[in-house]
Amino acid sequence: MSATPPSGARWSPFYDQIEVQRAPEPGGAGGAYRAFGETLRGLKTTLARVVEGVSTIQYPEQKVAVYPRFRGRHKLHRFEDSTDNGGKAGLEKCVGCSLCAAACPADCIRVVAAENTPEMRVSAGERYAAVYEINMSRCIFCGYCEVACPFDAITMGHDYELSDYNRSDLIFTKEMLLAEPLDASPLRAEGE
Amino acid sequence: MPRPSPQTITLSVDGREVRAPENMMLADAAKLGDIEIPVFCYEPKLGEPVGACRMCLVEIEGMPKLQTACSTAVKDGMVVHTRSERASVAQQAVVEFLLINHPLDCPVCDKGGECPLQDITFGWGGGMSRFIEPKRHFRKPLELSPLIAIDRERCILCYRCVRYSQEVAEDYQLVLLERGEHSFVGTFDGHPYVAPFSGNIIELCPVGALTSRPYRFRARPWDIEGAGSICTLCPAQCNTSLTVRDERVLRVLARDHHEVDDGWLCDKGRFAYQAIHVDERITEPMIRDGGLLRSVGWERALAEAVGALQRAGSKVAALAGGGATNEEGLLLSRLLRDVLGSPHLASSPTGSVSLAHWRALSDPALAASVPDLEFAHAVLLLDCEPLDDAPILDLRIRKGVRRNGLQLFVASARASALDPVSAAKLRFAPERGAELVWALVAALRRDSSLDDAARAAGTSADAVTKLARSLRAAGKEIVIVYGEQLLSGDDGALLALADALGLAGRAGAGLIGIPHAANGRGLREVGVMPNAGPGFSRPQLAGGHDPLAMAKALGTGELTALYLLGVDPLLSYPDAPAWDRALEHATTVIAHASFLTKGLREHATVIFPSESSAEKEGTITHPDGRVQRLRPAIGHVDEVRSEWRVLRELGRMLGGQIGPDTAAALSAELFATVEIYAGLTLERLAGHGIRWQEEAAAASSGEAPRVGAAKLRRAPRQQRGKVLLGSYRSIWAGPEVKASPALAFLAPSQRVELNPADADALELRHDEQVVVSDENGEIRGRVALRDSAPAGTAFLERELDEHGANMLQGPHVRIRSVQSVEAEASALLLAAQEEELRETEQSEVSAL
Repeated sequence: MSATPPSGARWSPFYDQIEVQRAPEPGGAGGAYRAFGETLRGLKTTLARVVEGVSTIQYPEQKVAVYPRFRGRHKLHRFEDSTDNGGKAGLEKCVGCSLCAAACPADCIRVVAAENTPEMRVSAGERYAAVYEINMSRCIFCGYCEVACPFDAITMGHDYELSDYNRSDLIFTKEMLLAEPLDASPLRAEGE
Repeated sequence: MPRPSPQTITLSVDGREVRAPENMMLADAAKLGDIEIPVFCYEPKLGEPVGACRMCLVEIEGMPKLQTACSTAVKDGMVVHTRSERASVAQQAVVEFLLINHPLDCPVCDKGGECPLQDITFGWGGGMSRFIEPKRHFRKPLELSPLIAIDRERCILCYRCVRYSQEVAEDYQLVLLERGEHSFVGTFDGHPYVAPFSGNIIELCPVGALTSRPYRFRARPWDIEGAGSICTLCPAQCNTSLTVRDERVLRVLARDHHEVDDGWLCDKGRFAYQAIHVDERITEPMIRDGGLLRSVGWERALAEAVGALQRAGSKVAALAGGGATNEEGLLLSRLLRDVLGSPHLASSPTGSVSLAHWRALSDPALAASVPDLEFAHAVLLLDCEPLDDAPILDLRIRKGVRRNGLQLFVASARASALDPVSAAKLRFAPERGAELVWALVAALRRDSSLDDAARAAGTSADAVTKLARSLRAAGKEIVIVYGEQLLSGDDGALLALADALGLAGRAGAGLIGIPHAANGRGLREVGVMPNAGPGFSRPQLAGGHDPLAMAKALGTGELTALYLLGVDPLLSYPDAPAWDRALEHATTVIAHASFLTKGLREHATVIFPSESSAEKEGTITHPDGRVQRLRPAIGHVDEVRSEWRVLRELGRMLGGQIGPDTAAALSAELFATVEIYAGLTLERLAGHGIRWQEEAAAASSGEAPRVGAAKLRRAPRQQRGKVLLGSYRSIWAGPEVKASPALAFLAPSQRVELNPADADALELRHDEQVVVSDENGEIRGRVALRDSAPAGTAFLERELDEHGANMLQGPHVRIRSVQSVEAEASALLLAAQEEELRETEQSEVSAL
C-alpha cells in the first residue's frame, strides 16, 4: 500500500495515509509521570486561586456593577428644567413617532399616538405617545430603539432586575418608563 | 368619443427594451419595463400632465436638453437614460430645491413611512443639503375642512390637489393663493373646503401637507394592515382598501379599479368607516320585552324569532336592502319560500314590474359598463342624480365630458349637479319619469302621442323634441343611466326607448339602472323579488306582494310578521304612514340592523346585530353587472354574527337545510343556483370582480317582451298657494353618516328646496323654518333657496330619521312658516279662551 499516489494516477481510497499514534504503555517512567506530574500541573492553577481569596458576590444584597454602555431597562426622558430649552421644560421628549416600534426586531414596543392640545400639552411636538408600552419579556435589549429615536427620547438604562411573578406585569407602560428605576444598579467606574 | 386603440411601439429605457402603447407618457411607459422615474406632480388620473415639479427629468437621445418624462409621449425607437450623469445631477438638484422649504418633521408627520417625498429623497436625492438659511414658516396645522388638515409648510406646490378640485371634482374651491415662495394652497376667503369628493386630495398629496383629520396620528404604516374590500354604502360599490390596526378600521383608501371607481372615493365612503366602532351601533341581539328593547343572548333572540316565525307560518313578508350580499339574499329567499312557504319578499320599493321586463332590462345585449359612461358619444341621465344616488359616477361622467367629448343630457325632475356640464337639460314633474320616457319615445318615432305624453310628464313637446333631436345627432353610442324609481310607474317605457335608439347589441351603448339599495341589482338577481326566483326564474310560489301591497296586507292583518334584512321601510320606503300602520299591526318584526332607526326603535320585536361591510363575507353585484367579492377585514365586533349564519341557523331551527356551513361553499352554491352567475368562482372574482354579462355563458336571450301601449298618468295641476312635492335622497342620508363623529356635521336635516320665485309668492325667506303639510301629515324643515330649482315644485329629503319626505304623499303640499303656523295656533287658542271667558261672563250674568 503506497501512501502517495503515483503522479497522474486516479485517486483511490488506498492512497489515504492513516497514521495511528498510541499512548505509552502503562507502567515505567512514562506511567509515573502521567500519574503525578500532570496532576500537579493542574493543581498549580487551583492552588494559585486559593491565594487570591473568595470572589462570590452576595446577590441580591450585593450587586454587580455594570459597564456604562450596558443595555438594561429602557428609560423615557423629559426635557430638563433649564432656561435654554424654549419653554419645553418638563415636556416629554417622545413624540410618538413609532420609529422605535419599526426598528424593534422583537416587536415588543407598541405606540399609540395622539394630538397635543393647548389645554393638555404632553410633548414638544404636535403629537405625543398616548400609549407607550414595552413588553420586557420579549425585549432582547438590542438597543435598536435607542438608535432609531430621532429625539433621544428613549435610552437604554442600567437596570437589569426585571423579573416578576406575572407576565402581564412585564409590559412596562409609559409612566413606568418615565419614572426613575427604584433601585438603580451600580455603575462601574471609569477604567474599572 | 370611442376608446383610443394605440399601436404598440418599442423604446429603450436605460438600455432595456420596453414595449408600450404609442403616445403613452414616458413616466408610465418606463414602468412597463420595471424602471421607475420619480414624479410628484404627475398623476394620470388627473388628466393632462403639467410638468410642474421637474422631478422626472430624464435624458433622451437626440434632444439637447433634459426632458420631463411625465409630459413626453413615447415614440418608436426612443432612447432614454434615467440614471445618466446629467439626469442624476438634475434629479438631485430638484430634490435639494424641494427640501429647501420642506420642514424635517417626519417623526411627527402622518405621511412618514408612506411618503413619496421621503422615498424619492432616499432614492434619487443627493443626501446633503447646502441650505443653511431659515425655512419659510406658516401657522400649522390648519383645518382645511373638518375632515382635512393642511400643513402649508410641508407643501411642495405640486398643484395636484388644486388640479383635482378644478378638473376632476370640478368644485372649483381649492386655489393657489399668493405668488412665488409665498404661494400656498387654500380656498377663497379661508372658507372650509367641504365638497362631496374632498377626501381624495388626502390620497393625492405626495407629502404630508394634506392629511386626514379622523386618521390624524392614529397609526404608522408599519403598525397597520391593508385589507381589500368594497364599500357597500351606495350602489356605486367603489373598491376600497381598509387600514386596520388592532382589529379596528382606521382609514379607507381607494383601491384603484378603472372599471368601477377610477380610483376615487366619495367622502361618505372614505369617512363613514367610523360608524363601525361607535357606541350607537347595535352589537348584541335585542328583543322587545314589556315594550322596551333589551339586550339578550343569541340563544334567546333566535328562539324568540323562531317562535314568532313558526306562529306566522306563511304570513311572513321580508324586505332586504342596504349592503345585504347576494348570499344573504339567496338564504332569505329560501327561508321565506322553501321553509316558511311565503312568496312575499322584495328588495326595492319599485312597484310591479313584470318578470319578462326585468329579464329584458337585464339582458346582456342592453348592458352598458361603467367605462362606457366615459367613452360613449352621449349619456342620458333619466330621473337620477348620480351625485346622490351613486356619487362616483358623477366624476366619471364629468371626466367623459371634459376629456372625451362626451355629450351629456340630463332629464330629471330635480336640478342636477351635472346640469352645468350638460349639453341639454330637461325638467319634468316629480315622479313622471316614465311619462317622459314615453314622450321621448314618441318624439324619436315622430309619433302623434308626443303631445299627450309630454303634457303627462309635465313638460313641453318642444323641449322633448329638442332633446330627442340632439340625442340622435350626438352619435350612435348612447348610455342611458336611469334611476329605478322610473320603473315603478310603467315597465315598458325604457325598453321602447332603447329600441327607438337602437341600443340593443351595440358595443359601448346600453342601460345602467341605479337601484335603491347598494346591492339592489344583486338581490334582484338572486331572487329577492315578489315575482321571480334566482336568476329571474319563475318562482314556484306565485302571488307575492310588492312592497306597497305588503304594507297594506300587514296593516289589515293578512300578513302578521315582517322580516327586515338591513332595511327600515319607515325610513327608506315611500308612503311612511302606510308602513307605520303596517309595523304597528305586525305582531312580529324581526330585523337585522346596525343602528336603531325610527321603525326599529318603535316597532322591532327582535333585532339581530348586523355586520358592517368590513366584517362581511360574500359577493355583491354592481349596477353594471360586475359581481364583486367582499372579504372580512376585521373580526366581528362584540356579539355580531354573520347574517348568513343567522339565516341558516333560523332555517335549521325551523326544520330546513337552506345552505352549506361555510361562506365559500355558500358562494359556490349561489353561483350554481343563479343561472346567470354560472361559471363564476370566488377565485376568479378575486379582487377585481367579473361582469356576468361578459361570461361566455351569458348570451342575449334575443326575445324582447312585447311593449304595450304607453300608460300615461296625468301630470298634477298646479294649485293656488300650494306647490308640487318632489323628493330626493341626499348623498349624506343614512345612519352611518350621523353615527360617524367626523361626518356628523354633514348629516342632513330636512331642507325644503324652493325656487326663489315660489318662495317670494309664499313669502318665505332662505333658511326660514317651515311646516310642510298635506292630507297625510306634516313635517318641519328649513327653506333652501336654489336658483336652478324648477318653479312650482318643492324638493324634500328622503331617508331622514325625523321629518323625512316619505311622511307626505303629495302631489300637492302646503308650505307655511313655523311662525305663521304658531301665530295661527295661538290666535285659535286666544279665540277659544275669549269664547270661554264670554261664556263664563254670560253664565255669571244669568246667575245674577
